[in-house]
Amino acid sequence: MVKLRARCLLAGDAAVGKSSLSHIFYSDGSLFQKNYSMTTGVELLVKSVSIPETNDTVELYILDTPGKDTLVDGCEKMWGEPSLLCLVFDLTNEQSFVNCGGWMERVRAHCQGLHVPGVLVGNKSDLSARREVQASVAREWAQSQGLEYHETSAKEMENCDAPLLSLALAFHSLYQEHRENIQNLSPG
Amino acid sequence: MIESSFNSSDKKVVLVSSSDENHPPENIIDGNTQTFWMSTGMFPQEFIIRFAEATGIAAVTVDSYNVKHLKIEKNNSPNVSHFESVTEKDFERTEGHLQSNVISLNVNSATHLRFIVTSGDKGCGPGCCGQSLWMKVLRDLQT
Ligand SMILES: Nc1nc2c(ncn2[C@@H]2O[C@H](COP(=O)(O)OP(=O)(O)OP(=O)(O)O)[C@@H](O)[C@H]2O)c(=O)[nH]1
Ligand SMILES: [Mg+2]
Repeated sequence: MVKLRARCLLAGDAAVGKSSLSHIFYSDGSLFQKNYSMTTGVELLVKSVSIPETNDTVELYILDTPGKDTLVDGCEKMWGEPSLLCLVFDLTNEQSFVNCGGWMERVRAHCQGLHVPGVLVGNKSDLSARREVQASVAREWAQSQGLEYHETSAKEMENCDAPLLSLALAFHSLYQEHRENIQNLSPG
Repeated sequence: MIESSFNSSDKKVVLVSSSDENHPPENIIDGNTQTFWMSTGMFPQEFIIRFAEATGIAAVTVDSYNVKHLKIEKNNSPNVSHFESVTEKDFERTEGHLQSNVISLNVNSATHLRFIVTSGDKGCGPGCCGQSLWMKVLRDLQT
């Protein structure tokens, strides 16, 4: 049994539903807020995810950060060294998807150009009549960025576990690779 | 000065911030170069070694991987509290082989040594999550 810990950055434009998702993660679904309340600082929540077919768990230390551009700069120094990224956009707002490119650049620059594995989440899938971003387009872009793509509805609590499991699995397999590499090291 | 390998029964690891059951903290001081302790993510990471009785320690040999900055503290109490700083060291990044360092401590008397890794190297090779580290204390040079 291994208990891994990973710092996961929750990023994306304002009002796409990052805090709503993080509340769903945290409370397993009892806490959807209809009224928008903007996140102004960095909020931390810890979510433990079990890895199927093992006794291992990954504790995700999820940092919910503000999406509003004027607040991002001030909060970036609190990102620390994220090992995972959960990038969220709003399926009913094409601009929030377009801006994901900028978010990726910012995260990469923050991490000294290193790739941070993670997921791209298209949220608000319940508002199907207002959808502006097609799943195929989003999935293709996600692949080009090395992210796994998921669609969720924080409101209907739909599919919200999938991105978490993806994140945990990604970290778990990185850890195993890392452990193997380490076992093959030569002495100093 | 006695050079003692860390496999003797007069020391044990009494606290560790994380571990993988395949690479448990006992490995830190078992004196066997084939085994190691591996942390499981996020910094800082730390462990505390207790000596059976107050001991003078001139230096320790530390093998590691992915360590960027290590702090060593000591105390002279039966409890794991009230530590004072002994030394700090920046490690050089290595790829494909271990970091091997002899760290001089010049401690006259201590019952506990605390090792704190405050940061690690990112991107230390393919598949590295940059958040876990490998460590082993091979020897202490007792005064
Ligand atoms: N219909 C629908 N509305 C949602 C969903 N998720 C979030 N919302 C609504 O979208 C608004 C913004 O949600 P937040 O979670 O506060 O957005 P945020 O990304 O945290 O925004 P910032 O903190 O400003 O970056 C709120 O009014 C939510 O009720 C969803 O899945 N479906
Ligand atoms: Mg928010």
